[in-house]
Amino acid sequence: MIFMVIENENKEIEQLIRDLARKLLEEKQVDVIIGYTEGTVPLSSSPIVIDKAEEVDKLIWNNLCYINLANYLVPRIPTLMNEEGQKLKVGIVSKGCVGRALIHLSVEHQLDLENIKIIGIPCNGIINRKKIEDEIGEREIFNISVSGDNIIVKGRDFEKVFPFNEYMNELCKVCQVKSPPFLEDICVGECLENPVIEDDFSDIAEFDSKTTEEKWEYIKSLLETCTRCYACREACPMCYCNLCFVDQNQPIWFGKTTDYPDIFVFHLVRAMHMAGRCVGCGACSSACPMGIDLNLITRSLEKIAKERFNFTSGIDPGTLPPMMAFDMEDKEEFIMEED
Amino acid sequence: MEHKILKKDQIIKLYNDLNKDYNFYAPIKEKRNIVFRKITNPEEIVLDYLNSKVPPKEILFPEKDILFEYKINDNEIEFEEPKNLDDKNIIFGIRPCDAHSFVLLVNFFSQGDFKDEIIINRRKNTTLIGIGCNTPKSTCFCTSVEGNPFQMDDMDIFLVDLQDKYLVEGISDKGKDLIKKLSWLADAKEIDLEKAQELKKQAEESITTKLDLKDIDKILDQNFDHPIWKEVSETCIGCGTCTFLCPTCTCFDVIDENVPNENRGRRIRIWDTCQLSLYTLHTSGHNPRNSSIERCRNRILHKFCYYPENYDTLGCVGCGRCIQLCPVNNDLRTIIENIKKIELKKEEKISA
Repeated sequence: MIFMVIENENKEIEQLIRDLARKLLEEKQVDVIIGYTEGTVPLSSSPIVIDKAEEVDKLIWNNLCYINLANYLVPRIPTLMNEEGQKLKVGIVSKGCVGRALIHLSVEHQLDLENIKIIGIPCNGIINRKKIEDEIGEREIFNISVSGDNIIVKGRDFEKVFPFNEYMNELCKVCQVKSPPFLEDICVGECLENPVIEDDFSDIAEFDSKTTEEKWEYIKSLLETCTRCYACREACPMCYCNLCFVDQNQPIWFGKTTDYPDIFVFHLVRAMHMAGRCVGCGACSSACPMGIDLNLITRSLEKIAKERFNFTSGIDPGTLPPMMAFDMEDKEEFIMEED
Repeated sequence: MEHKILKKDQIIKLYNDLNKDYNFYAPIKEKRNIVFRKITNPEEIVLDYLNSKVPPKEILFPEKDILFEYKINDNEIEFEEPKNLDDKNIIFGIRPCDAHSFVLLVNFFSQGDFKDEIIINRRKNTTLIGIGCNTPKSTCFCTSVEGNPFQMDDMDIFLVDLQDKYLVEGISDKGKDLIKKLSWLADAKEIDLEKAQELKKQAEESITTKLDLKDIDKILDQNFDHPIWKEVSETCIGCGTCTFLCPTCTCFDVIDENVPNENRGRRIRIWDTCQLSLYTLHTSGHNPRNSSIERCRNRILHKFCYYPENYDTLGCVGCGRCIQLCPVNNDLRTIIENIKKIELKKEEKISA
């Protein structure tokens, strides 16, 4: 096995993206490519849509590409049309969780994979921005880069080094689907053939070991700073409803304030809608301006979907997710009292 | 006005003196974020911060404001007016950009026939003890929007961080009177004033983001249907981060919450944002700002076109929060630069 440092992996992934994007555009297999480009502030990246082969050098890969690009293909964001209103053929730079989101969205009939080329890349993890910011404190970061296997963070009077494998997102540490699952005629680049998922839920082991009261206190304290800007919802590829339950106002189902019960109900009900659907991309947590880590809640639901229904979302376009299927054999002891 | 000195270890004394008569708000670290909170433990105050995550507008214009509560007893309706409106507040440690945003907020809520007494009163009862920015962030651009990292005009008392102590200057009459009451403050020396001048110069020079906003309102006015708006909105995911955490955004929604079983209820005001589709949705189902194109355009036009037109000032104070916090890094600086590349047409708009 060849050991490769993150810095070199990034260069290879970036090259892979650019080569494939150029090929797809030149051969007119796609009209546009959705990928990532350099951010204008440290610890960021920006999604970008390009339509010319000359522009492929704008595409980058740098461990800060945290947005799930599948979000741009759901019907809610309708910009990917030509002037005649025809759907464009899209090439989409896909780390594992983007691929999973695309597959799950197609299972839910939200997109047609026929129109899509998945540019599979072997994702090597996303930097945990919040953890880095916590360490740096109230000082401005001017520059962040990956050198060897380390993250180098520079500011006015400081330079700090963080080992990449410790400072990547907790979700990325346990991720087993680093490249998108392979689909005939749709995947180009590096994809996983017949992925077998032995889910690792060690990231939520500590949370799981808490008592119900402790979990309650933890979640309460976690959500306290929410301003209800809905960045989590809007960054989530699975939150594609035209009218979110929380925006419904005839009648009003849920309170709209930042009082604790209202915040709690919003996040918990949103999480319930993620059961057996969340692909664990972590975009919600990365997007949250207040630094709330929502992954514990969604991961707990993923774990339940796995344990009860042996289901992992976004792996196989042919398997119906538990919430879309009815099976007489489904376990129901959690709602039925045992005799 | 003579200058005073506040030693860093005297902040607790200052708090203890003022806390008797005022709600004392100051920046603290709450979870991961610097936010302004009513202080109960002065040890928690953080003053060497860059800027708060949530702007202190939330003190004048909270995320949730109860406008009134009511109870129905038999056939009588009993109203309860908002509480604590006459409380005196101090906002300690506010930055110049945020202090300037208070001018815009009060101006907005004072317009027209229906003045917002709640917010106007809160501002009237609030004293600002602000602090200059020795190290502005790379995303700060107050000098491009008529501000300055040491702008003191909008404060009542202005502090300069001289590393080991603060230089204190009374700006308004309210501020000057307050300083008189704090008779224990030492007098400043000439060398302290010189140091403050030097820091001011350094701070101004360290602002690297310069936006050329000349004629921006006219260019925007002429280019409502320009293809640039498709570009600007292309990657916007439509969340409310840029607006909720903007010190000058004032939009709100009014909601009646009724508890029918208990014969009581309340009317509340919560923050709203033009970035969500629900904001302009009509009862008919029609939505004049149906996509992110119109919604992104509205944010820029409101701050850089409608504000100059209606209030003769820009609707942006250059704090850079929207630049720092946008989840998809849709950078206001880039947007403005690209708009400025559009050529200004010669003919003036003919008004009807």
